[in-house]
Formats: sequence, structure tokens, C-alpha cells
Amino acid sequence: MMKRMRWTICTVLACMLVLFALPVMAQSDTPQANAEQIRQQLFTVQSKLMLGDTTAATTAMQSASDLYNSSLKPIFSKSVPDVATSIDKGFKQASDALQAGDGLTLAIARGGIWTDFLNASSQLAVQAIKANDGKTAAEWLLLREFTASTKFSRPNSDATKAIQAFIAGDGKAEDALAAIHNDLLDSYQAQLTTSLANADDAHRNGFDLRQAEEVGLAAGYFNILASTYAEQRGDAALKQTTQVFNALERVAISGDKYSYELNMETVQAALKGFRAAPLSETDQARRAGQLIRFVDLVSIEYKRGIRDGVVVKDIEIQEATTFLEASTAAFNDISQTLEKQDVDKASRVATLLAQMKTQIQTTADPNALQASGDSIQTILKDIVPAKWQQVASTSDMDVIVSILDQIPLAVKGNQYDLAESARLEAYGLLELGMEQRLRGFAPDMAAEIEGLFWQGGTMPHDADDVGTGDGVTPGLAYLIATRAPLAQIKSTIAILKTTFVQAQQIMDAGKSTPTIVISNSAIIVFREGLEAVLILASLLASLRSLEERQFRRPIIIGALLAFVATGLTWWAANALLQTMLPLGERLEAIVSLIAIGVLLIITNWFFHKVYWTGWMAGFHSKKRNLVNGVAVITAGQMLGLIILGFTSIYREGFESVLFMQSLVLEAGLSIVLQGVALGLVGVAIVGVITFTLQRKLPYKKMLVVTGVMIGFVLLTMVGNTVHVMQVVGWLPINPIIGVNLPLWMGQWLGLFATWQGIGFQIAAAAFVIGSYVWAEHMNKGRRESKPAVKEAKEQKEQVVVSSVESHA
Amino acid sequence: MKSKVILLAVMLSVLILPFSRVFGADDKADLDAVKTYLLGKANDLADGSKLLTESTDAYYELAKAAKFDYAQLWKDKQKEVAVAIEAAKKQWIVISPFYEQMEGIVAGVPSLSNYDAIIDASPSGEEDPDNAVDFTVDLPSGDKLEKPGALFNVLESTLWGTEPKYVSDAKIDVDGDGKIGFGDELPDANILKGTADALASQAAELLKSATAWEPNESDAFTALVVMVPTMSEYFGSWKISRFVEGDDATGKNFSVISRLSDITGILSSLQVIYDGVSPLIEAKSPEQHEQINQGLVDLKAFVEDILKQENDGKRFKPEEADIFGTEAQDRAQTITGQITQAAALLDITIQE
Repeated sequence: MMKRMRWTICTVLACMLVLFALPVMAQSDTPQANAEQIRQQLFTVQSKLMLGDTTAATTAMQSASDLYNSSLKPIFSKSVPDVATSIDKGFKQASDALQAGDGLTLAIARGGIWTDFLNASSQLAVQAIKANDGKTAAEWLLLREFTASTKFSRPNSDATKAIQAFIAGDGKAEDALAAIHNDLLDSYQAQLTTSLANADDAHRNGFDLRQAEEVGLAAGYFNILASTYAEQRGDAALKQTTQVFNALERVAISGDKYSYELNMETVQAALKGFRAAPLSETDQARRAGQLIRFVDLVSIEYKRGIRDGVVVKDIEIQEATTFLEASTAAFNDISQTLEKQDVDKASRVATLLAQMKTQIQTTADPNALQASGDSIQTILKDIVPAKWQQVASTSDMDVIVSILDQIPLAVKGNQYDLAESARLEAYGLLELGMEQRLRGFAPDMAAEIEGLFWQGGTMPHDADDVGTGDGVTPGLAYLIATRAPLAQIKSTIAILKTTFVQAQQIMDAGKSTPTIVISNSAIIVFREGLEAVLILASLLASLRSLEERQFRRPIIIGALLAFVATGLTWWAANALLQTMLPLGERLEAIVSLIAIGVLLIITNWFFHKVYWTGWMAGFHSKKRNLVNGVAVITAGQMLGLIILGFTSIYREGFESVLFMQSLVLEAGLSIVLQGVALGLVGVAIVGVITFTLQRKLPYKKMLVVTGVMIGFVLLTMVGNTVHVMQVVGWLPINPIIGVNLPLWMGQWLGLFATWQGIGFQIAAAAFVIGSYVWAEHMNKGRRESKPAVKEAKEQKEQVVVSSVESHA
Repeated sequence: MKSKVILLAVMLSVLILPFSRVFGADDKADLDAVKTYLLGKANDLADGSKLLTESTDAYYELAKAAKFDYAQLWKDKQKEVAVAIEAAKKQWIVISPFYEQMEGIVAGVPSLSNYDAIIDASPSGEEDPDNAVDFTVDLPSGDKLEKPGALFNVLESTLWGTEPKYVSDAKIDVDGDGKIGFGDELPDANILKGTADALASQAAELLKSATAWEPNESDAFTALVVMVPTMSEYFGSWKISRFVEGDDATGKNFSVISRLSDITGILSSLQVIYDGVSPLIEAKSPEQHEQINQGLVDLKAFVEDILKQENDGKRFKPEEADIFGTEAQDRAQTITGQITQAAALLDITIQE
């Protein structure tokens, strides 16, 4: 009985042990676990051989082989026989290499076996989904690799989520298949890029074993992508590229450095523009934006490099070619979507891009090239989805800098293609926006920035700079093409950003210095104030008798009300401007034009004394009508005189307010108010001297001097306004070749070396001078033809000034 | 009868126990254990770095008394100086692993990661102006060290003289082994004291922040995703350290404690974090949990094996170090990939 009892307990305990062990055994027997163990054993083979322990290496080789034969081979042989055959070859190659003590061949074989495992698992996951077996698919999908997890990007989880949804019955098989397909293709293309970069890195360091290992992996990853590559490039291209990979493996083993570099170059060329997984919607929109921008840039660059059918600047033609290649690559990435919109039009774009290539190669007429580009743009407007087209146009400095910041990230991930794409995108934005203006306002700076984007800057930086070999900063295009170290690329980007800041200063030079704004506003306020004082003084002086003096009060009240009204006008104008601020620089251009109009009126007024004297005479006439023969002031007279005082002063105030708004937009309220205060102090002094101290001032000379100063203000303002209009694109920019004006001339005089800027300033000066000459001519004619009138007029003018002077 | 009851109970247990793992799996994260672990190490570091300042203060007072004439200092106070420096070196060796054993958590948790830069990870402004942490060490002389890099690195360079500007010109047999060798330098007392004080201050602040930290699942997953795939960086610094390159080492740091030792410390802390969140993953996908867990175990064992060989006297060549680093990184990347998949399935956010 006891024996039976013991036996039963022992049996139960044994069962218990087995049952406990079952989950563990099951977990360690998953395809992923087996594959990982084999991979680790093969690494042990490699490391032991490397460290000279061949016995341990042989043991590990045997373990790896046994585990494969017992676990994965039966499945692979049945479901993915081609891959199983390849793995068998890999094991044989590895085993032979171990026996021969050939670490390099072993490294390549190891990479091949592992990537075959990944290939098999991908195919088996797909087969399982097709067989409606989500659980098995999920199990196979554990045997995979991911894109590198960095601070800025994490591996995506589309495939995992899709399979889970499929298992749960929430997702369709085709969705799961698409997610697996895209996720794995994307991951293995990233791994291919990384392995090739690592191989190059090892090559530079002379680490042959590591180089062979990475080459083996790269060839394996390419093998996983092979069918997609053939779909996109054709079987012949696949065959050719596969041969190059095989050659790369051979030279990695033979140690032929020259052939390695040659084959690596061929591999990189064969992979250029290849994108295994389709782009996301966001990425497609971005590529569409690039296509739209780059197509325009092709003809812009080309035009700069061609004169009379001859290439005069190779670099510009090279840039045009680069943009055409980038346009074509962007088009290829979105061509399937565009074909869905209109297959014929999409095909026409492809034809036109090819035509542009031929046009560049045959040094065609720039206008013909531009016509091709324009045709493409017309078609793109029809077939590129509207929301994608909205991505294209901005040229904000921050956007350019943020795109530049993507370059080091891409380089860090060895994605030099991505880095080049970001470089071109940043340059495209620059070229379509800021660079156009820089070429006009600071050609040297434009050349420097262009150099930094392409083959090298024009200004010397570090003595040990490489690239152009002449001690200048190497350009980004050169650095990316030569796969320069990250530190060097970051260094050029840092210099580029500093240069941007300087460029921005030049762009801001259209904004005058605070000092010039203060002095301009002070001049205007003083001048307008002086006119107001003179008018007021003239009116008051003419009311000398005791009876007439009672009429002075309403005029003064009117003048004071004009001050208040001027303040209210300022407030209203400012409030209006605030609502229009979203117009940005365009508002500045509009208001500047109004200010110029005001200035032109003032100057014209000044030279055509007849207007001014007529204006004054008008006031006097109104005054006479109001006061003549009246002993006691009536309410109507009172109102009339208040209005007289008001209108005589408010006109000056209104002009000043209009003019000041331009300065407020340019330099801000506080700066302008400083100038206003200064001008008002001057006016107050004149007012005190005139009205309180009743002293005589050289009013005529003061009017002349302030008039000349306003002429100066006018010219500065015309220069700045043209600059602003060029910035907002309302005027073209044609630089005056060979003329480089210093920054301060822009800030103080509004002088910029563009034909438009200088031309309009000359025109404004001509207008003012012409106005003066014409006024003089008119006066002379009047004097000669109507001496009596002239005499009367002169007498009238004399009344104006002398009345003020006599009052004083 | 009694025996039959016992037998029945045993059989029932046998039937139930294996399934209890599945049905009874606790699907809640246990992050208290992570915090307890962190506080233990942070306490050790705070106490240890305070102790370090006793030696550095003593050395500073000696140097100050000698008016910072180091040749004279050595001549007059050889024994006291040697004792102070040796004590500081020993204490550095004690406290450095305290940090490494919690680095996975401190560096990986966004709210604590700035301490990692200041204490252990940042390059100096001279080495990498863009990525150096913006931090200043105030020296007793009134001078400042702007962007000096990680405090542990500055201290190591000062105590063992791997950075010439942090030590005096005098070449002196500090350890008394009869020859002028590695570490036979008299540190610049100003820099040594200023940096040790800064470390003590930062360690105290870290302890405060760690105490205030309320761990959550997002923090834990973020720490794993950020820190696991950093193997290549650590192996990279090992490759250029004295442990691989010997006297020709191009790296100024990690000359005293092998970087491999640091890696095992970091992996230990990452395992603590993973243990905290593993119930969540196990409940969702047992296979994925098994893969991640085993991956971390294997990765740590892989590094420990190399460290053991190194401790046994094996000196690896740079290319060998490179091969090991690549292998570790490949493994780490796969583990990280699976952690990100698990986080996605659990709808847990990985922070930027």
C-alpha cells in the first residue's frame, strides 16, 4: 500500500515537473528563440575564431548547425525552399571558412544566414496571414529587425498592430498584409543603408572583419528587397545589382581596397532613388511640394549659367541638373498617386522631365527649358491633390533652418540620401525666397550662402578645412556626397546659420536705424508744426485792433481742438493699422506709399509757393468774411472762427499722422514718439518765441531748410519703400552688377544696389527738382506776362510772411 | 483516507499551478520596486559624494597653505597629500558604480535625465560645443568652469591626470611605487574641490528629485527605449579607453573603471525597470515578454563574459571591441524594437 502510495506521489510529482516545464520549453522553442540562439552561436564561432580558440568555435558551429537542422530547417524546407537552400549553402560556407580559419568568409556567411532567417520569417508571416492564421503570423513576426530607435524616431508598430487587429477579428487580411509588407520593407531598407555605411566606416578604420560582416548583411538585406527592386527597376537591373553585391562580398574577402571602393560606389549608384516601401501620405505631400519647387529652380539655375548659348557658369548648370534629378526622384515617388488622377498627364510630366534633361545636355535656349518647366507646373496644378500644393510656397527662415537641422540627424543615421534631400529642400526654399532678395541687396552674401550649400563657401574659416582645398569652408553638397563625418557637416551648417543671421540683418536693412526714424519724424513734425505756427501767427497778427482781438480766442480754440483731433486721428489710424497687421510687410509697403504721397504733396507745396500763399490767402479771406465790420461776435461767427482755426492746423496734423504710421510700422511706436516729442519741442520753442516773446525769426529760411530736409526724408523713404516692395514681391529685383553698397547706406539713406531702388530715388529727386524748376518757370512766366498780377501776388505773399513778422 | 485526500489535493494543485501563470498573471506594473531601487542608489551616491568632499577639502587646504605651489606642497606635506589623493581616488572608484547602477533610470526618465548629463554623460564644451550640457562649476578661487562636461569625467581627469589642464605640472610618484606612471599627478586643488563640491550638490539634488519622482508606465517604457539601444556608444568609449588602447588611448575618460563594468551596471538598472513593467507585457503577449526578458538576460551575460575576460587579463584589440560593440548594439536594437511594439499594443506613450 505504502509502495503504491509512494509510486503515485512520485508519478504526480513528475507530471507536475513536466507541466511546470512545458510553458518554459514552449517559450524557448519559438522560431524567434531558435533563430536567436543560432545567431548567437554563430557569433560565438566568429569571436572564438577571432580570439584563436578554434575548438570552442567548432563546438559552437556544430551547435548552431544542429539547432537549425532540428528546429527551423524542416519548416523552411517545406514552406520557403529557396531560402532553405540558401541557408544550407550559408552553413556550408561558414563551416568551410571555419576549417580554413577564414574569418572574413565566415563573417559574410554569418550575415547571409541571419538575413535569410529574416527573409524566411517575413515570407512565413505573409503565408500565415493568407492562410487566415494570425497567431502563427504574429509568432513569425517576432523574428525580425527594426529601424534604429533614436531620440527623434522610434520603430513603427504598424505591422504588430495590424496583426493583433487581424487576430482579434477587427482587421482585414489585406490590411495586415500591406502593413507587414510596408513595415518590413522600410525596416530592411534602413538596415541595408546602415550596413553599407557601417561597412564604409569599417573600411576607413581598416577593420576588415567588421567590413566583411556588414557587407554580408547588406547583401542579405538587399536580397530581402530584391523582388521589390525588380518590380521598380526591372529584372535586368536586379541581376546587375545582385552581381555587384556578390562582387562586393568577394572583394571584402580578398581585401582589395580599390575594388571595394569601386564596387561600393556602384552599389550606392544602383540604390540611388530606390524606395522599397511606399511613402506615407505626409511624405508624399512633402515630395509633391519639393517637385513643385524644384522644377522652377531647374530653369532659374540654368538661366544663370548660360549666356548666348554658351555655358558661362558650370556650377549653375550643375545645380540645375541636381534640381532636375531631385524633381525626377520626387515625381517617381508620387507618380503612382498622380497616375490615379490622370495617367496621361502624369505620363506627360515624365516625358517633360526627360525633355528638360535633354535640353540641359544640349545647352538649349533657357526660355525653352523654362517653357518645359512651365508646362510641368500647369499639369501639376491639375493632378497634384490640392492640399499637397499648399505645402509648397513658404520661404520662412525658420523653416529653412528647421530643414537644415534634419541633415545631421539623417547623417547620424547614415541616411545620406535623406540628408541630400533635406539640403536640396532647404536650398530650394532659400532660392525661391530669400536668395532672390539677397542677390539684389547683398550679392556677396548670396554667393557665400550658395557656396555653403553647394561646393564651398567663399570666405575662409578654419585653415584645416577640406573639400575645396583652398582653405574655405567645404559646402554641404560636397560633404554629403563624400559622406563626410558628422562633425564636419555640423560645422558647415553652423557657419551657414551664422551667415543666415547676417543675411537677415541685410534684409532688415530696409528698416531704417532708430536714429534715422527719430530724426525723420522730428523733421516732419517740426516742419508741419512750423507751418501751423506760421498760419496761426499770420491769422492772429492780422487781428490787431481792440475790436478784432476778440476774434482771436475762437481761432485759438479751433487750433487747440485741431490738436485734440490730431491725437484722435493718430489713435484711429493706429487702431486701423493694428487690424491690418496680418498683412505684414505688404501693409508696410502700402503705408509707405501713402507716406511718400504725403511727402510729395508737402514738397510740391513748398516749391509752388503760390499754393501755400493761396492757402494762406484763403484763410485770410475766410477770416475777413467772418470778422469784417462786426463789433460783437455772434455764435455763428464764433463757430466759423473755431472752424477756421481748426482747419488751418488740422491739415498739418493729419498729414503728420499719415506720414508717421509708416514709421510706426517700421520702427515701433516708442521710437516714433521720441521723434514726435523732439519735433514738438522745436515747434514749442518757435511758438513761444513767436507768440509769447513776440520775437522775429527767419521764417523764410526756416521753411527752406526744413523743405530741403524733407526732400532728404523723401529720398530715404522712397529707397526703403522700393526695398519693402521688392521684399513682398511687388517689384522685381535687378541688382546693379559690380556695385556693393555697405549695410549702413541702406539703413541711413535707403540706398540699395538695385536698379529699381536707385531708379525710383532718382525719379523722386527728379520730381522734386522738376517741380521746383516748373514752379519757378511758371512764376517767371506769370511775372513776365502779368506784371500787375505778379506784383499783387508778391504783395500777397509778402503779407503772409510780413504779417507773421510784424506780429512777432 | 487521509492519504487519498492528500493525493487529491496534490493532483489538483498539479493541474492548477501551471495554468495559474496564465490566468493569474498580475497584469499591473510594479514601479515601486523601480523607485526603491533608484532611491537606494541615489542615497549611496549622495552619501558617497559627500564623503569624497572630505578628502578633496583636505587636499585643498593643504594646497592653499602651500599657496598652490605644488612642488613645494609635495616637498613639505608628501604624506598628507598622498593620503588625501589616494582617499579621493578610492572614493571615486566606490561612488562611480553607484551612479552607473542607476544610470539606466536617471538617463532614461525625461524628468531626471538632466542629472545624467551633468553627473555622467555630457561631453565638455571643448569636445562638443553643440551637445555639451550648459552647466558651470564654481571654483573656490572664484573662477568658473563653463561647460566642463560630466562631473565624474572631470573628477577622473583631475585625479588621474588624463586632462593636463586639470593637474599641476609636477610629475610626482604619488602612489609610491617607485616610478612615474599613470595617475602620478598632483591635481589642481581648485578644480578638484570645485568639482567634488558640485558633484555632492548635484547628487543631493538628484536624491531630492528621485524622491519626488512618481514613476509611471510611460516613464518606464521611455527609459527602456532610450537607454537599451545605447550599447554602441558605451562600447565606443570602451574602444578608445585605456582598457583597449592602453597608453595610446585617445579617450580621456573611463581609464580607471572599465566601461564594460558601467554597461553591466546600466543593464542591471534596465532589468529592474523591465521587471517593473513586464507583467503588463506578459499579460498581453507572453512570447514577446519572453523574448525581451531573455534578450536582456543574454545581453548582460554577453557583456559580463567580455568583462570577465578583460578582468582575467585579456586585452582586446580595437577591431575586436568594435565587433563586440556591433553585436551588443544589434541585440539591443532588436530588444528595443520589441519593447516599442509592446508599448504600442499597450497604448503606452514613449516620450520624446
